[in-house]
Amino acid sequence: MSATLPAPVLVVEDDPHLAAGVMENLRAEGYAVTAAPDGEQALDWLAGHEFALIILDVMLPGADGLSVCRTLRARGNTTPVLFLTARGDPADRVRGLEAGGDDYLAKPFHLQEFLLRVRAILRRWEWYRSVSATTATAVLRFGGNEVDFRAFRARSWNGEPQELTEKEAMILKVLAEHAGQIVSREDLLERVWGYDVFPSTRTVDNFILRLRKRFERDPAAPRHFLTVWGVGYRFLTEGEP
Amino acid sequence: MKATRVFQLTALALVMVSAVQVGWWLFDQHAYTVEKVAAARAAYAEQVAAAQALLDSGAAPARVQQLLSGIVTRDGRATLAPEVAEALTTEEHRRYRQYAWEGSFFLLALAACIAVIARALRQEAHVREQQDSFLALVSHQFKTPLASLQLSLETLALRAPGPEAARPLIDRMLADLARMEQMVTQILESARLERGRVDLKSEPLQLAGAVARVSAQLEERARQERISISSDIAPTLIVVSDPLALDVVVRNVLENALAAVRGAGGAHITLSARASEREVELLVRDNGVGFAPAESARLFQKFSRLRSGASGYYGTGLGLYIVRRLMELADGRVSAHSEGVGKGASIRLTWPAASMDARAAPQQPAAGQETRT
Repeated sequence: MSATLPAPVLVVEDDPHLAAGVMENLRAEGYAVTAAPDGEQALDWLAGHEFALIILDVMLPGADGLSVCRTLRARGNTTPVLFLTARGDPADRVRGLEAGGDDYLAKPFHLQEFLLRVRAILRRWEWYRSVSATTATAVLRFGGNEVDFRAFRARSWNGEPQELTEKEAMILKVLAEHAGQIVSREDLLERVWGYDVFPSTRTVDNFILRLRKRFERDPAAPRHFLTVWGVGYRFLTEGEP
Repeated sequence: MKATRVFQLTALALVMVSAVQVGWWLFDQHAYTVEKVAAARAAYAEQVAAAQALLDSGAAPARVQQLLSGIVTRDGRATLAPEVAEALTTEEHRRYRQYAWEGSFFLLALAACIAVIARALRQEAHVREQQDSFLALVSHQFKTPLASLQLSLETLALRAPGPEAARPLIDRMLADLARMEQMVTQILESARLERGRVDLKSEPLQLAGAVARVSAQLEERARQERISISSDIAPTLIVVSDPLALDVVVRNVLENALAAVRGAGGAHITLSARASEREVELLVRDNGVGFAPAESARLFQKFSRLRSGASGYYGTGLGLYIVRRLMELADGRVSAHSEGVGKGASIRLTWPAASMDARAAPQQPAAGQETRT
């Protein structure tokens, strides 16, 4: 994704009016937009084309948005997904994010907020890709663990291969960028999710627990992923003595 | 609602306790009778033994019979009089029969009560469930046109396009509003049908008139979308229905056909009618998206929507449900037929013909009016 080329966005929405409105606005913002009216056509398109972002309606005829996203992730496609849905309660949001979505917007939504979120997702990914672009930054080694940020793969200290989710990889990336410094939960939320997607910062804690389980010799007595009480986390590549 | 439910549950509990009590009472009465009959038999056996002892001690048989009633003596042996033994058995059986009749009557009555209450409770739960899913679906259906409307308005506000560029946005907003208006109408209609609060008339009506009225309302829309509607209906065909219901049925079927052909090239809808001895049939044919033959029954269910596909049709999923309910109430029928997806579809509506005109009605449609848009 270079600065000169418009970012390609796929809009998967069965309602023709809403699809037209979303597409016109994305075009006006300078994105290259493609439309798919249902999940099957979207998956067909995605098999042969690269996109920077997928706007995915949850209630689609045939395969719904959640299963489309799951299929995509199972194929190893990590293109960010912004869900649009008529149902906006917290349980639905969590379901969307569990299916591998990056953000979630309830219908009816505000145009400005929608465009802001699209920009935020693309910016996060731009950052992630650019900081993982060179060989020097693509691989992180700490305490016998080795993480490949481009492939979302890692090998832990005991030689076990690990498949990272995008969020785990992004959190790790943010922490590694600020190795030795304290990173607050709010900073992590902002950098990895954007804003107000999850109701609480507890989500970050859960992801840290998962990272500890993957990479710490003793997850109960962490030496790399340290909790700074009341503030956030500190990551140490060398490990605390 | 809640008080009724508490009352029903209490009544159900009471009736069930009563049933158990009746069962216990039956068991108890039976045991009591068995015990009493056994006691009576034992008492008689004692009397027989006493009589035998008297006879053995040389008492005169006549004296023994006089002293101990119900005992007969013959050849120096005392036995229970056959009529007494028989009366005892008869009484025993009579009591058993009485318990069986009374018990089964009460148990049956109580079982009927339990069934009635349980059915009411189940129905109520079903209604509640339906209302919940209805509300969830309805609010969901409204959110899409609302989102589209908001998006168009905010686009106008954000980008301030010239009149030329604003036109499609305004058209889209008007269409979204029309869509919501149609949804409100359909939801109200189906809610009225649901509660059975419809007071439908049964009067002879000219089918061609209703079709012409509805076609005229949809003419503008059809022309804009380049859809031709042709109808060929004999003015002599008279159906028995409610005038409003007839219009609603024809409108919903026509709107369904319009949605099915939207976006298809050379789209047309054909309406034809014919009469038999007792029925009048309207056939609405289109060359639109069609449906898989297996789905024909599902079409008339509440909230069933066809896959939208390229034509991008959106509906409430209530239109054809309303048609089916209204046709049922008019003692008519409705069925849908399609060769498959993309092969067009036809919907057949059948009303009872007006009895007086039935004989006069022609077997084949006469040359009716032809409207083409």
